[in-house]
Amino acid sequence: MATTTDRPAPTAVTERPGALRRGPRPDVGRIALYTVAVLAALLWLLPLLWSFATSIKPEGETTITPPTWFTADPTFDAYAQVLGRGDLIRWTFNSFVTTSIVTALTLIVCVPAAYGFSRFDFRGRPWLFALIIGGILIPPQTLIVPQFILMTQLGLVDTYWGIALPQVVAPVFVFILKRFFDAIPCDYEDAAKIDGAGSLRILWNVMLPLSRPILTAVGIFTFIGAWNNFLWPFLVTTDPDTMTLPVGMGTVMGGYGIQYAQVMASAVLGALPLLVVFLLFQRHIVTGVAGAGIKG
Amino acid sequence: MRDASNRPSLSPPPPAHGVERRALLTAVLTTAAVTAAGCGTYDPLASDRTRLRQWNLFGGGDGLRMLQMHEAYQAEHTDVDFRATTFEWGAPFYTKVAMGAAGGRGADIATVHVSRLESLAPGRLLDPIDPSALAEAGIDETMFLPNIWKECFFEGRLYAIPLDTHLLVQFYNLDVCREVGLLDSRDRLIPLDGKDTYVDALREIKAATGGFGLSLDTWGPWSNFWALYRQQDGELVFGEDDFEMDDDKALAAMEFLYRLSEEGLSPRVSQGADTSANLANGRSGLMIHGNWEMTTLDATDVSFSVTQFPNVFGNHRTRGDSHCYVFPHQRDRDPERTRAALDYAAWMLRHSLSWSEGAGHVPAYLPVAESQEYDQLHPQSEYREAAENVQFEPEAWFSGSAGRLQDEATGPLTALHQGTRTPEEALRQLKRTFHAMTNAPAPV
Amino acid sequence: MSERTHTSRVQGSGAAGSGLVDVHRRPATWTGLWYVLPFLAFYLLFLVWPAIVGLGYTFTDRSLAGGPVSFIGLDNWNETFTDRALYESLWNTLVFTVLSVPVMVLLALGLALLTDHARRLGWFLRFSFFAPFVLPVAVMALMWEWMYNPSLGLFNGILGRLGFEGSEWLFSENTAMASVVIATAWWQVGFNYLLYLAAMQSIPKDVYEAAAIDGAGAWQRIGRITLPLLFRTTVLITILQLIGSLRVFEQIYLMTGGGPNFATRTVIQYIYDSGFVGLRIGLASSMAYVFMVLIIIASVAQFRLFSRKEA
Repeated sequence: MATTTDRPAPTAVTERPGALRRGPRPDVGRIALYTVAVLAALLWLLPLLWSFATSIKPEGETTITPPTWFTADPTFDAYAQVLGRGDLIRWTFNSFVTTSIVTALTLIVCVPAAYGFSRFDFRGRPWLFALIIGGILIPPQTLIVPQFILMTQLGLVDTYWGIALPQVVAPVFVFILKRFFDAIPCDYEDAAKIDGAGSLRILWNVMLPLSRPILTAVGIFTFIGAWNNFLWPFLVTTDPDTMTLPVGMGTVMGGYGIQYAQVMASAVLGALPLLVVFLLFQRHIVTGVAGAGIKG
Repeated sequence: MRDASNRPSLSPPPPAHGVERRALLTAVLTTAAVTAAGCGTYDPLASDRTRLRQWNLFGGGDGLRMLQMHEAYQAEHTDVDFRATTFEWGAPFYTKVAMGAAGGRGADIATVHVSRLESLAPGRLLDPIDPSALAEAGIDETMFLPNIWKECFFEGRLYAIPLDTHLLVQFYNLDVCREVGLLDSRDRLIPLDGKDTYVDALREIKAATGGFGLSLDTWGPWSNFWALYRQQDGELVFGEDDFEMDDDKALAAMEFLYRLSEEGLSPRVSQGADTSANLANGRSGLMIHGNWEMTTLDATDVSFSVTQFPNVFGNHRTRGDSHCYVFPHQRDRDPERTRAALDYAAWMLRHSLSWSEGAGHVPAYLPVAESQEYDQLHPQSEYREAAENVQFEPEAWFSGSAGRLQDEATGPLTALHQGTRTPEEALRQLKRTFHAMTNAPAPV
Repeated sequence: MSERTHTSRVQGSGAAGSGLVDVHRRPATWTGLWYVLPFLAFYLLFLVWPAIVGLGYTFTDRSLAGGPVSFIGLDNWNETFTDRALYESLWNTLVFTVLSVPVMVLLALGLALLTDHARRLGWFLRFSFFAPFVLPVAVMALMWEWMYNPSLGLFNGILGRLGFEGSEWLFSENTAMASVVIATAWWQVGFNYLLYLAAMQSIPKDVYEAAAIDGAGAWQRIGRITLPLLFRTTVLITILQLIGSLRVFEQIYLMTGGGPNFATRTVIQYIYDSGFVGLRIGLASSMAYVFMVLIIIASVAQFRLFSRKEA
């Protein structure tokens, strides 16, 4: 689940001169190193490449044994078939909506909570904080039964809110954000207070701008976590019209008979949205992990 | 955890370039999404057409035929926004039906096994069907065989509309059987009645093929057992916290299955797909399997025909089940959608000749089952009379296709074929699991 | 874990005055509570309330199918503690954990070392090793099922070409769990990898330079500087991974459904099977409680164990 790293963490993963690069002559070691690195990376990409290779084969060629990597006549038929069914687009939309709700609400409730714990004293504060932090230890998977019953009672099964709301409870983010707020010196606030700013103004105008990297990290990880969450959306959706992408792909049969190219085409399409997000935000994700040590 | 350093773990940042734009973009998209969500479920297909959602479990050859039928149905009913969803066969499908009904927003209509009716808590997870509304759609009880129709009731109320009967039948490889001399002049399997006659025939086939005599599914052995047990009039009755079973008859059935594999007349391990392959490639001459495997065999170039389940203990009784339409519970049942669902079921029944032709199922709807067109379907008509020999599962909340009883019985019965359990041991294990199931409180 | 230190830190904050503990509090008012309330509402409704209600369910015969509910005392608890299938699923979970944790820690370390040294490929390597982590589990399951396919799959195709006999991978009781672990390692190792990479890159470079001047070779530098400095990170990753592995469900459910012959059914799936497939809410709740307590004990024990070692 989640916790934080204590060691001094870098604010960014920066390039620094390689420890092995300082030999006077190009040595065998470096050539070997780079060869191994490239091979490992290709091995790691193999499942993705193989899925793509399968997805552009004509259906008849997918069952040839032993399998071959390349096809003489590549085709995007499988993609057209999969997209033509419309399910995948629908599920992607559902994932986008529910994931956005989760991300927005998580930030909306966790940030003030962390601010409240960090900057204010009130009765029962240590007790409440302990209660919330204790929640980090409870595996949400063990609460699926009563949570589902609660959703049937609230009439939220097969709704976006039913998917999203229970995922908003993320005590670990309160903990991480509070730690971050604790580390912000009070000078900034004092200046604002002299100008007569209220606590809400200070949160908005002082704390948030100073917390941008951690907010980005929390936001990105909430987003990835919610997008890929399987168990809860799997339980709370039965109607294919409200399913998220992972759930729909995992439970609804796409078609009948032999159709491996189509299955792989849907896998490739299902992988795309977050791969794009990853490419866009790669630096933030890397620093986010480095800095916060969040695991969803 | 402890803080070893006195430095903040993330120092307040230098302003990062590019984050702002992305943050803004994210904010805009988020707002858009939340707004969309707030305005209710977005539905690109929303229109004034009646929304009809059907769930089923046909992932095999019969699924392809159902898809074709659905396309024809949709083409004729442009006022209905129809969508069918196929879930993975077995527990995954039944769990979705139950959870959807528990949540109150399940499918409008679903295809289930009639043997699973009781396990779906009729009255709570299933909504009753009004016979007069069904009659308005043109369907009434006179259109079904009484033994199937009565399975659709629970505590006096109608909960299901039967679509078909499917059953274990016997397939035979024409070339192999002709070689052994088991065919009559019209290429039909000669009668092989009685255990000894049947086993002798299997030995002859085995000698000819060098493989097996009979191909059967050792991974789904409960159905075979149940057919053989019922051929001897064996009763299995589950009571409050006990059950009645005829040990001798159960042992006789198990003994028969055990000997088949022991003598090499049947494979020790054979999954669903291998089972048909073993008939198609001529490694065996006979096969016991479900009628739906016809689609699989049709796709190969084997010449085959079909007849009733073998007469081992004096009759041709076989294990069967029916697919039927049910109405999963909905919190706010819409009369218009209910009517559309009934119309859909009626349409499928009237067109069930196609269901039979493409999937080998015996139509439950008599006007089709007794029609000339059905009579002329070959080889379907060869086992039409078998529908009257169908033995349904014992009555209990845990019985039925893909139910818990089947799941639990698979272990010992599979071991019987593998030779790792004697019939006595298998029976002991079977009875132990029956005890456990009857002792467990029924959740329905 | 953190609650105790935190509370004490807050209480001592006035005197501390260091940068970290600079908690700048106003006199006690109700303002802070207002900020905490929204989160608290979610927390109480969706976590605390279900936890309490779930405990209540364990004493009843409540069914997912509805119907009358009656109090049945400790029957569910008795059944839970005597259920062989539950112990088997616990065992499977343990096997998965024992197999996956070392793989996913060591693999992450190896890949991170590789990336840390082959700097010129930085972006490419980071993408390759981390990208699988962002894939939805259903995508990952489809890809690996396809590669594992005994007759048509890539792996048996390659093995066949090399003259080896293929494996049944997910379809045999003997190999299914190992196959699942391999696929999981590919999918999830990226996170541990990034943690390691960040830790490596935060080691000040003058430490290495000093060692280089002393004549230490590349391997010596790894052995004497990098690995010792990574100890805390390794502890953290191991703890996270252990806790994560114990909760495994979805990739196994999708790839094998818990089979063959229940050989890969884990505890979470058994809770799902009992409660949602078998409809028995009460029984599933008591199983879930047993597992929750086991996980909490395991988590606390690990933190205790490792923090003592470190001290």
